[in-house]
Amino acid sequence: MLFGVYTFIAGILHFFKTPWKNSVLRIVELITVLSLIIGPIFILLCIGRLDRLHYLFLYPRIQSPITWDIIAIMTDLVGCFIYLYLTFIPDFAILRDNDDIKIANWRKKLYKALALNYQDTPSQRERLHKITRTMSVMIIVLAIVAYTVLAWIFSLTLQPGWNSSIFAPYFIVAGLYSGVGVIIIAMYATRKYFHLERYLRKVHFVAAGIVLLVMALLFGYFTFSEYFARWFSHKATDVQLLDTLFTGYFWEFIFANYIGVLVPIFIIFFKKFRTIKSITFAAVIAVLGLWLNRFLIVVPTLETPYLPIQDTRAEFVHYSATWVEYSLSFAGIAAFCLLFTLLVKFVPIIPMSGIIDYEREHKKSKKKNRKIVTE
Amino acid sequence: MTLKLEIMKSNLFKYSYLASFIVVLLFSSKSFAQEEEQKEAFDLSKYKTVYKFNSFKQADNSRLLEVSLIVQNKKDRKDKIPVFEADINFYNILDDEEVLLGTAKTSQEGIAQFIAPASQNYLLDEEGYIHLIARFEGTKELKGKEKDITVKDLNLELELTEIDSVKTVLVKAFTIDSVGVETPLEEADIIISVKSMLNNMPIEEGTIEDGEFEYEFPTDIPGDDDGDLTVMISIEDHDDFGNLVQEKSAKWGNHLKTPVKKVKNTLWSESAPLWMYIVLTILLVGVWANYIYTIVNLFRIKKEGIQLELTSEE
Repeated sequence: MLFGVYTFIAGILHFFKTPWKNSVLRIVELITVLSLIIGPIFILLCIGRLDRLHYLFLYPRIQSPITWDIIAIMTDLVGCFIYLYLTFIPDFAILRDNDDIKIANWRKKLYKALALNYQDTPSQRERLHKITRTMSVMIIVLAIVAYTVLAWIFSLTLQPGWNSSIFAPYFIVAGLYSGVGVIIIAMYATRKYFHLERYLRKVHFVAAGIVLLVMALLFGYFTFSEYFARWFSHKATDVQLLDTLFTGYFWEFIFANYIGVLVPIFIIFFKKFRTIKSITFAAVIAVLGLWLNRFLIVVPTLETPYLPIQDTRAEFVHYSATWVEYSLSFAGIAAFCLLFTLLVKFVPIIPMSGIIDYEREHKKSKKKNRKIVTE
Repeated sequence: MTLKLEIMKSNLFKYSYLASFIVVLLFSSKSFAQEEEQKEAFDLSKYKTVYKFNSFKQADNSRLLEVSLIVQNKKDRKDKIPVFEADINFYNILDDEEVLLGTAKTSQEGIAQFIAPASQNYLLDEEGYIHLIARFEGTKELKGKEKDITVKDLNLELELTEIDSVKTVLVKAFTIDSVGVETPLEEADIIISVKSMLNNMPIEEGTIEDGEFEYEFPTDIPGDDDGDLTVMISIEDHDDFGNLVQEKSAKWGNHLKTPVKKVKNTLWSESAPLWMYIVLTILLVGVWANYIYTIVNLFRIKKEGIQLELTSEE
C-alpha cells in the first residue's frame, strides 16, 4: 500500500517546482507506475476469498472503512495514472520526433499515439502545464485521503495496537519515510547501472537524504508517542500486546523502532557522513525497518485477540510466516526490479522535456536579470 | 557463459553479508520456537490420574452416569490434561453379581457419559440402594481405575398450578419400596431455577419437609417470545439420592413484545448517516469532475496538434 506515496512525492516535487526535481522526478514516477501495478495485486492476494470479491461492489456499506478504501484506492489509481500520463506526454513527443534513435516500428507508432499530437506550441504547453499542476494538487490530496482511509481500516477497530487516533498521520509519515528510502535506493541503482553520474549528483542524494532525515525524526516522534501512550495507560490488552512485542518479537521490534529510525538519523545528521553510499545505506536501513514496522503492526495484534480461539490447531492460533508468504514478499520485490528495468527501456530515465523546460526558464531569467542590470 | 556465472557468483559473495542479514532477520527465533516446544517429550510419570464418577437422575427419569478422566501434573496442579477416547464401562452390582449397563468413550474434555433409560431395572440391596461402578480398564501407559457410588431411587414430582390466581410451584418427593408403598422424603435441600439460554437462573433455595415443598412463583420473570418458561427443581449431591432434576414448562412469563424501532441513517442501520452521503458525493464529484476536465483538455491538445499538422501540410 505504498503506491499512493510516490505520486504524492512526485506531486509535491512538481507543485512546488523543486529546482532539482528533473533528475529525480522520472524515477519517482516510474516507481509510482510500478507500485500502482504491483500494490493492488497484493491487496487481491491478501483477500483470500477472491470468489467473494464482487460482493464488495454488490453490497457496499457506506459506513464501512473498507468501502471507503475501495472508493479511495480506485479514485487514486485513476488520478495517478492520468497525472503520470500528463508528465510523460512531452517526452513521448520528443521520442516520436527524434529520428536519430533506432527503435522498432511498433514503438514509434506507440509513441506517436501516446504523444497525442503534442507539438510543444506555447498554447499546448501552457494547457498541459495548467492541467498537470491541478492534477498534482489533486493527487497530493488523494494520497492523503487514501492513506488516511487505509489507516482507518486499522484504527477504527477496537483491536489493541490498532485503535489509535494518530494512526492516519502516522501512516502518512511512515509511508513518506519508506517512500523516500526506496527512491534513494532506486536513484543509487539507476545512477550506478546507467552511469548517470552527471545527472544524479551528490546534491540530489543530500537533498533526498535531508527529506529522509526529517521523515525519520517525524516517524520516530510518532512511534514513540504511540507506544509510550500504550505503555503508560496500561490497558490490559495493550499490556498483553506490548508483552508479545517485547518477548516474541524483541529483535524485530528493536530493529524496526530503534535501529530503523536512529541509524538513518545518525548518518544523515552529520554533514561529513553525507556521502552517496552512506545515504543509500541509511535508506536501506530505513526501508527494512519500515517493512518490519508494518509486520509488527499486523501480526502481533492478530496474535492477541480479545476472544481466545478455542478448539483449533496451534498453527491457527499463533501466526508464523510460511514459505508462501516469504516467496510472495520476495516475488513482489523481484517483480518491482524486473518491471523497473523494463520500463526504463521504454521511457527516458531523465525527463528530456524537463531539462528543456529548465533551460528555457534559465534563459528567461538570465534575460530578465540583464534587463535589471541595464536599467 | 562461465564468465557470467563467475560474475554472478562474485556479486553474490559481495553482497553475502547483506543477504545473510536479511535472511537472519526474516527467519527470526519466533518461527522455530513452536517446533522446539513440540519436540519436548511428554513424561506421564510426572502426572497422576484424577477420576470422578457421578450420577444424575434427569427430568425424564433416565439416569445420566458421568465419568471425568484427566491427568494432573503432580507439581504444577494447573497443568491438567484430559484423557480422551478412553473406554469406560458402567456396571450395576449387587454382592458378586455384575450387570453391564453400558459403555461410553471419554470426549476431548475427558468426560464419558452414559444414559441409562428410565425403564432400566436395577439390582437393589435390602435397603433399596443401587450400587453403581464406573470402570476404566487401563492401557499400557495408564493404569486402570474404578469408582463406585451408591444411590437410592427418589421420585421427584413437579406441578405448576395457579391457586387463587397465585402461580404456585408444588414439589413432591418420595421413594417407592419393592411392594409399591410410597414413603415421603424426610428432608432435603432443593433449588428452584428458571431455564435460560446458557445457564439456569436460580430463584429460590428451600427445603423439602415431609416429602412436600410449596413456593409462590414471582410475577416478574419474562420468559421467552411466547411467554413460556421452564421451571427446574434440583437436589444436588444428596448423601442418599445423589443428583436429581425435574422440570416443567408453563405460560408464566410476563413477556411483552416491544416492537423493535426501525432505526434509520445510523452507523449500524442499512442506510448510512446523511452527512456521509453528502461528504462522499462532494468529494467524489469534485475529484472526478477534475479528471474529466483534464481529459477534455487533453483532447483539446490533441485537436490543436492535428490542426497544426494540417496547416503545415497545406
